[in-house]
Amino acid sequence: MRLYKRMTNLQFTEMDTIISLRDVNKTYPGIVPLHVLKDINLEIQRGELVSIMGASGSGKSTLLNILGILDSYDSGDYVLDGVPIHNLSENRAAELRNHLIGFVFQSFNLINYKNALENVALPLFYQGVSRKTRNALAMEQLERLGLADRATHLPGELSGGQKQRVAIARALVTNPSLILADEPTGALDSHTSKEVMQIFRDLNAEGMTTVIVTHDPNVGAATNRIIRITDGQILPDNV
Amino acid sequence: MKLRFFDIENWREIGATLARNKTRTFLTAFGIFWGTAMLGMLWGGANGFTGMMSRNFAGLSTNMGGIFPGARSISYKGFNKGTFWNLTEDDLKAVRANAPYIEYSSGVTNLSGTAAYNDKSAAGRVLGIEPDYASISMPVIEKGRFINEADYSSSAKVVVIGKSRAADLFGMEDPIGKYISLNSVYFRVIGVASQLSDASIGGRVDESFIVPGTTMRRALSSDRNVHFFVFTATPGHKPSDNFGSIRRTLAQLHSFHPADEQAMGTMDISEMFEMISKVFLSISLLAFFVGFGTLMAGVIGVGNIMWIIVKERTHEFGIRRAIGAKPADITGQVLSESVLLTLVSGTAGVCFATLVLYVADKVTYQPLLGYAGFQISFGMAVGIVFTFFILGSLAGTLPAIKAMRIKPIEALRDK
Repeated sequence: MRLYKRMTNLQFTEMDTIISLRDVNKTYPGIVPLHVLKDINLEIQRGELVSIMGASGSGKSTLLNILGILDSYDSGDYVLDGVPIHNLSENRAAELRNHLIGFVFQSFNLINYKNALENVALPLFYQGVSRKTRNALAMEQLERLGLADRATHLPGELSGGQKQRVAIARALVTNPSLILADEPTGALDSHTSKEVMQIFRDLNAEGMTTVIVTHDPNVGAATNRIIRITDGQILPDNV
Repeated sequence: MKLRFFDIENWREIGATLARNKTRTFLTAFGIFWGTAMLGMLWGGANGFTGMMSRNFAGLSTNMGGIFPGARSISYKGFNKGTFWNLTEDDLKAVRANAPYIEYSSGVTNLSGTAAYNDKSAAGRVLGIEPDYASISMPVIEKGRFINEADYSSSAKVVVIGKSRAADLFGMEDPIGKYISLNSVYFRVIGVASQLSDASIGGRVDESFIVPGTTMRRALSSDRNVHFFVFTATPGHKPSDNFGSIRRTLAQLHSFHPADEQAMGTMDISEMFEMISKVFLSISLLAFFVGFGTLMAGVIGVGNIMWIIVKERTHEFGIRRAIGAKPADITGQVLSESVLLTLVSGTAGVCFATLVLYVADKVTYQPLLGYAGFQISFGMAVGIVFTFFILGSLAGTLPAIKAMRIKPIEALRDK
């Protein structure tokens, strides 16, 4: 799983820099092309808890998608955990997402006909891990997040907070290099939001690099570093 | 590491996906089931009907032909138009000497007769034949034996009686070795015969009394005439290949014009079989096209359902792609579903067709003729399922490719 660490490009980034973007641009084509990311330069160190904040349409989600290898960029350079991310095949991108990144989405994105344990174990299925092992690892994560007694429950039988915890467990099950969370509290009440943010803080305390995209100032305040983005450009850090 | 295809999770997912919309899955599965069942039933049904038609000619050699004397239609060598000529025992020697493609042959003389045994009597046809007749008409010997060469050459007064006539005269008694009076001449019963089908030469064997032709002409008939001459052609030839030489020989012996078609009647069973074979082929082709059409309708149904499934599950595929599924994983999943649906329903359809054909074969069974053959071979059954498997997989391929091409980011946006 740590194979990718050995592929570090020392000329480009240092060992404890997990995310490095240099002059990254992204334009959506159309009758009027939309230049959503303009010369983005960004470095995130291993173990950081970072939030990316910006107004709607500022480009923060596009940035997150690029960071998560869900979307491509037009120019510049992006290195994730030592791996240059450019012109990747779909298979290679899938491998990197599976091994390096844990995703947490606003709408949880759990598969509704799979129970909590199966949802958490799913990324390991794509690594070819045996059923017994992946279920054991998935159960470990559910226990870690206090959901062991909900393992056999379907998403429809869980509260919003529980669903998000299942999603976090799924993000953690492959022991990724970083967690990318897109508005992870956007569908939760304030109390549950605080609980979820506390989980992120706890994970960060254990060394997990976490990047959260949000427009919620409270979420931003709960992170160690806020990266503000406006009109596709990153403003200077405001710690 | 192991192949994900064989992971039970993969198959549980497929089962769960198919079970989520039971009605739709059932209807699609039924389409496939019915497609394979129809193809199997039509194909097996065609085999059965072919068998039933063939049974009508069971016991007759398929390359049998024959000739018989007729009235002259052309005045020739002093014989007026409309006059008849008779075929004799001596003619047959000349015919056999000149016709190059005759394998087995027999003159057949046919009279009406009455047989008596003790106080019982029975009427029927008396057939005077030669020993080779058994290789042409192929009667079923129920008891005893058939006329042999020694009987024929010695003009023995022996008779093979038809099964029905034996029952009339002897009831439960064994007729072999007993003497019956046939048109007031005593004959020793040497055999009891029946015939497989309704087709016969000179009358049904079951209802006839069969005696050596020589004996018939010596003891029962007032002349040496033979009513018709039947034969089988040598392998690789048709009976009609002999008609020219036979016609020339008999025309010379009996002074009718060699081109006089009506002076000598002919029959060629092989032509009839050829025509029936074409009918069988047409039935099989029709069955195949109708069955294949039904099967294609089922395949299109599979393709359709797969399109819908892919559309419905686009968001789910996005989630899977985000957490590490490769395009091939998604394709494999969609294809696995169509393959499973196709294999299970197709196998069930073929099993159903086999059951229906089994019942049809049982219902049409006849003790003497056997089964009509309402069945499909194991290879055909496997072939139908395999064809459906391939077509079902192809039908699932386009939706699977569509699923594979969905970008994860676009799929995640799809709600």
